[in-house]
Amino acid sequence: MFKRLTAFAHAVIILTLLAACGTNGAGGAGNGAAAGSADSSGNSGSADKITIKYWYAFGDKIEEAKLHMVNEFNESQDKIEVIAEHQGGYDDLHAKVQAAFAAGNAPAVTDLEIASTGVFARSGMLEELTSFAERDKDELKLDDFNPGLMGNAYVDGKLFGLPFMRSTPILYKNVTMLKDAGLDPAGPKSWEELEEYSRVLKEKGKLGMTVPVDIWFYEALVAQSGGQMLSEDGKTAMFNSAAGAAPVEFWKRLASEGLIKMPVGDEAGATADKDWANQLSAFKFASTAGVTASLEIAKGNGFELETSFMPANESYGVPTGGCQLVMTSKSTAEEKEAAWTFIKWMTSKENTIYQHKHVGYLPTRMSAVESDELKQHFEQYPQFKVAVDQLEYARPRPMENAYPEIAKIIKEAIEKAILDPGTSPQDALNGAAEKANKLLSK
Amino acid sequence: MTVWQKLRPYGMVAPAIVIFSMFFIYPIFYMIYLSMFDWNFVSPTKTFVGLQNFRDLLAEPDFLKVLSNTTVYTALTVSLTTGLALLLALWLNRKSLFHGFVQGAVFSPHIISLVSISLLWSWLMDPEYGLLNWVIGLAGFDPLQWLSHPSTALVSLVLVAVWKGLGYNALVFIAGLQSIPAEIYEAAELDRSKPWTTFMKLTLPMLSPTIFFLVIINLIGSFQVFETIAIMTQGGPVNSTNTLVYYIYEYGFRYFKIGYASAAGVILLFIVGVLTIVYFKLLSRRVHYR
Repeated sequence: MFKRLTAFAHAVIILTLLAACGTNGAGGAGNGAAAGSADSSGNSGSADKITIKYWYAFGDKIEEAKLHMVNEFNESQDKIEVIAEHQGGYDDLHAKVQAAFAAGNAPAVTDLEIASTGVFARSGMLEELTSFAERDKDELKLDDFNPGLMGNAYVDGKLFGLPFMRSTPILYKNVTMLKDAGLDPAGPKSWEELEEYSRVLKEKGKLGMTVPVDIWFYEALVAQSGGQMLSEDGKTAMFNSAAGAAPVEFWKRLASEGLIKMPVGDEAGATADKDWANQLSAFKFASTAGVTASLEIAKGNGFELETSFMPANESYGVPTGGCQLVMTSKSTAEEKEAAWTFIKWMTSKENTIYQHKHVGYLPTRMSAVESDELKQHFEQYPQFKVAVDQLEYARPRPMENAYPEIAKIIKEAIEKAILDPGTSPQDALNGAAEKANKLLSK
Repeated sequence: MTVWQKLRPYGMVAPAIVIFSMFFIYPIFYMIYLSMFDWNFVSPTKTFVGLQNFRDLLAEPDFLKVLSNTTVYTALTVSLTTGLALLLALWLNRKSLFHGFVQGAVFSPHIISLVSISLLWSWLMDPEYGLLNWVIGLAGFDPLQWLSHPSTALVSLVLVAVWKGLGYNALVFIAGLQSIPAEIYEAAELDRSKPWTTFMKLTLPMLSPTIFFLVIINLIGSFQVFETIAIMTQGGPVNSTNTLVYYIYEYGFRYFKIGYASAAGVILLFIVGVLTIVYFKLLSRRVHYR
């Protein structure tokens, strides 16, 4: 028996090794074939067809929309062939772009999460777009982009990206649940109302909301309390002010009374979605990118969905989010021209309307918002319009080089304050601010 | 002797040496070199900072927490995997269809990719919808938070590692047990040795090379744990599952601090190196080789 098993084990090991080699081989062949076919089609079309790579994040509806637009682009002309490659979530994408850049193998165009624009631009990985935009200003119409979305497009006064799939967090409401509990489905408009609603829902054996500890939502609640994450010059942490502590105190109090649930850990975001989809909690905070998918869930589970602004404390307020399209700096001049043509095409009025309707991300251009097509769409599905209106209260995300690290420090501090009854939100945030200041002063 | 005869052995090992140097030796020295710079991997200028990265690391409470997490994880994983695998091997070391089946079943996690295993266990351990909490609920206990609470997250990861490593370890132990000559057992039986004495005085010493081998590979493997953490917890909640390799990855590829990350890498290299040397020096004397 044992001899047979060892033989089996050996066979497995050898197979594994072979499989590993096989994957590499196949991958190589696949790339070769793709390059080959691109070349041959280039020869059949025009002699100087150029191939560029575009790396993107996320799957499902988002991927569908991106691939659809890339295909349309490739079919719309015969000078440029764009090869789109999926690279996971934003963090994975960023790590891969960085490694590829260091290896001299970066894609010509990539998605870039907006808060990372600073660190990528300042380390010289991005091509400045100012002169391209100046040259093609009549075609590009830079003024047409929603000004609320341009804050993260500039780094130190220079243009580095164009808004692509941009979002804000919004409040998703299970209106059926609210009506059953005798609550006005138009609310909650403020933190107090959110608390009152949650109390009523708790009596019905439900939860007000499941909220993951997430830096993006925290940024929103700080904005609603009238605070700032960092000082204007980006040298000092401001989130340990009263306005920065208010959200954590609010969350901690509601969570300790069992009015809301705050899961932590890697699955926390998924848990919040599941609780909401399973009608355990009436509300969720989520990106506007989820409107289409959430409408499908609501329909499938037989409840009515509405969206609204995130509830206000002192005022309404949200960060923007999502990604812009950027160009890497080490490509050849021809590749950069091709990349620029592609970026212009992807961010056009028609395409921003398409991706908005297909996924739920914001329409980035004012002309798109005012178009008849979207006006009609908003009338039919008011859930889509909320994020557009909420942009009035939107602000850019911090773009300091150290911000990704600071975001993690803040997240840990909030988790600690919420999980540990003995840690006060103010103390936890003070500790985080001390660490953040050290990083910011470098 | 002709020149060819003198050079031939070197020629024969050259390919191995070249590959080894390129992929193992060079990166080690490059990492040590990088650990003395402040650099983000892409900017044209590297700033020499000497030992500042090491000073920063050792003054950073998070890093000390990471070191202690890694140590606890390693100690638990190595002792549990090796201990349980030995018990399992003693039980499975006989010929029957049933035992063969169990052996195959326990071995199967070893051939599944760690990424799939991590995703699977994430679902099993979901506090709200997971199978584990459902079973615990049926047995009448309060649900556990598993990966979602600092007090249970690290132990949950140990559980996954033990589950994954058990089969392979047991297999190696069974091989070790079967290589002990039957005559020694017969002699012990003639001397009316009690089963416990036989195990302590005979089986364990004869197994010592196997134990030695398993402990060292488990030790090094656990110190380098990465996939389960990257997929299941990302070091959280509240840094409770952050370990050395994940920390290095975070700083290198997420925060673009390659010098700082390299310094942490040097410390990892140092710890694993010292552990291995100490282990060989101290314990190899007690290992019984035939």
